[in-house]
Amino acid sequence: MEVYIAGKGIISAIGLNVDETLQSLRAGKSGIGNQTNLSGRRDNHLPTGEIKLSNAELATMAGLSAEYSRTALLSMIAAKEAMADSGIHINGLRTGFISATTVGGMDKTEQFMTSYIRDGEFKNIEQVLYHDSGAATELVAEPLGIKHFVSTISTACSSSANSIMYAARLIKTGVLDVAIAGGADAMSLFTLSGFNALMILDENYCTPYDENRKGLNLGEGAGYVVLVSEKVAERLLKAPTVKLTGYANANDAFHQTASSPEGKGNYLAMQGALKMSGLETTAIDYINLHGTGTANNDLSEGMAIQRIFGEQVPKSSSTKAFTGHTLGACGGIEAIFSIMAIEQKMIFPNLRLKTPMKELSFAPVTELMEGVEVKNVLSNSFGFGGNCSSLIFSKVN
Amino acid sequence: MELYIKGIGCISPQLTYDNSVFLPEIKKHSGNRMMCIEPDYAPYFEAGSLRRMSRVVKFSAGAALIALKDSGVTQLDAITTGTGYGLLENSEKFLKSMAESTGPVLSPTSFIQSTHNTVGATIALITGCNAHNNTFSHKGFSFESALIDTRLLAVEGATNVLVGAHDEISEKTFALMEKLHVFRNNEDAEIKAYEKGGNGVVAGEGAAFFILSATKGEGDYGILVDNAIFYNPESTIEVKELIEEFLERNKVGLENIDVVISGINGDAKSDILSHEINHLLFAHQTIVLFKHLCGEYMTASSFGFWLAAKMLIAQQIPESVILKNRHRRPGYILLYNVFQNDHSVMLLKAC
Repeated sequence: MEVYIAGKGIISAIGLNVDETLQSLRAGKSGIGNQTNLSGRRDNHLPTGEIKLSNAELATMAGLSAEYSRTALLSMIAAKEAMADSGIHINGLRTGFISATTVGGMDKTEQFMTSYIRDGEFKNIEQVLYHDSGAATELVAEPLGIKHFVSTISTACSSSANSIMYAARLIKTGVLDVAIAGGADAMSLFTLSGFNALMILDENYCTPYDENRKGLNLGEGAGYVVLVSEKVAERLLKAPTVKLTGYANANDAFHQTASSPEGKGNYLAMQGALKMSGLETTAIDYINLHGTGTANNDLSEGMAIQRIFGEQVPKSSSTKAFTGHTLGACGGIEAIFSIMAIEQKMIFPNLRLKTPMKELSFAPVTELMEGVEVKNVLSNSFGFGGNCSSLIFSKVN
Repeated sequence: MELYIKGIGCISPQLTYDNSVFLPEIKKHSGNRMMCIEPDYAPYFEAGSLRRMSRVVKFSAGAALIALKDSGVTQLDAITTGTGYGLLENSEKFLKSMAESTGPVLSPTSFIQSTHNTVGATIALITGCNAHNNTFSHKGFSFESALIDTRLLAVEGATNVLVGAHDEISEKTFALMEKLHVFRNNEDAEIKAYEKGGNGVVAGEGAAFFILSATKGEGDYGILVDNAIFYNPESTIEVKELIEEFLERNKVGLENIDVVISGINGDAKSDILSHEINHLLFAHQTIVLFKHLCGEYMTASSFGFWLAAKMLIAQQIPESVILKNRHRRPGYILLYNVFQNDHSVMLLKAC
């Protein structure tokens, strides 16, 4: 049983939809910059991959209330684009919405809590109503017309890779015909302060896989794919060109926030995905790296890649230099980049990489490559708690 | 695919952590919340790591380790968990330091342990389990999704899966929900009061974990036949039809159901549909309630699942949970839970 990609939708610092995103990727235009939407804490000076629209502007785009969390607004915009792109009418099809997030409604909660903790006053308490992760999913599911099957995954930075995987498994086992899967995360002071406390934020624009990398920049956004069964794929007006051929979820079981030096979980996730796809390592044309830009992640991921691919590491890049690290959304956003690489015959550059890491025998691509045959893409998402997941997207022959 | 319940571990507002007893006496909680009765964790964790764990991590990882020990299983093929709100206490702690601290950088400890997957990750660390590890966080479908994940894993070839759920009552979030009039006092904790219902619910918390296995063995508690989720049904009739379809797909007639575990939570308004379903479908079944024991929370259905497992192996229904029709013995049990727009069913049977 194959699972096909019938539609995609994306919003991030480099574009409000698929077309804008492609233009930015092609032009090498990064979305990292000074942030303007958040206020109230000193971590504000740190550069981020922020979407330069207010909640009110996003709410208009989404067709939802501006009172909802920014996560819900971003989720709605990308999920709506993905559904429209697929051209699917869900009537009569068992359709699920599988989302993912790490912050949920924290952007609203933190505004309330800061004044509540300081003054003990319950001012604007309605801001906490949509705090939990599932709230954003349900706010989006209803206008999408989804009945019965909704869920949300929260496994830190691998969340939306896992939601895509879960959706594919539900289709393969016949539980669903169609699934909109991916994830969304909004910028929040909570995550910005947290990552700053961990001292893994770069005060300048991040440089993933560079010998002198200093850490990550946070980003925000949402990315969703519409996954369909073979049966549904056959009936589509627009025949799918990409399918999901491999995936695996593994746990590093090493430390709550750090990866094992040899990247055991990373290795198991990539290896598992390759095994399911039945592909030789040489068949992978491009790896969309997790590549956060922290010393720890890039080394563990790089070591695990070397262990799997040996001397023949495929072309690779981290697109987080474009978008920042979008946490629970990155698996969804980078799934879209992986699919675009296949569709557009392109490999996107790892921006700002000057000095390749000395521990590694390979270095990511630094210039845009166009007109290259990309048949199989491996996309990595690794998170806190040792949660490691890999997806493989393949061109439909 | 049917799954065998091999081990259980439950830490809740009742004395449930000791698997050798079955609700020996009911702990009455006064006020508007019920908090966990916790065991001595010394046998389960190293002293150093125990000190670093927040309360929910202790009672959740504790419940998971109780289940693991109970099952005798040594090799897990996956760990999958559900949590509605995640790690509230640690999130609040970090928010507090954000609001109050004036230093250049905050302490990251509470932030590190604030992600929803902290409990699943902690269990993976303790058991050295590199396998599939998932955390679902979706209101009244958090535990339900983890169960669906488990059933998919079994179809895909997994033998033993640790599945569970957890939610905690935390000081600040509780104060906010109290202000939003979500809760009411538990002055009358009798089951009959839950039938009548009042205005609001009694807050609860807890963790329940299970070892579900594809292989049958001696001493299994019971069998999970199937489970399903129904988001946002429009009417009682739609729910009735969905439950009938669910039973039909499992080839179980309504008359075969002996016990219905109902998620009635004592809030008259939100219980209307559950009462109607009991009236329409289950007039002859033994109706069992559980939220008068554990309170209401997003993953309370995992306590209901624990109750089902205990009833199946004991072949007995404690007096304290029966709402009506006490004559049936538990062969087939249907759990029907409602949390806001999230309706779910689980079908279990005796071995």
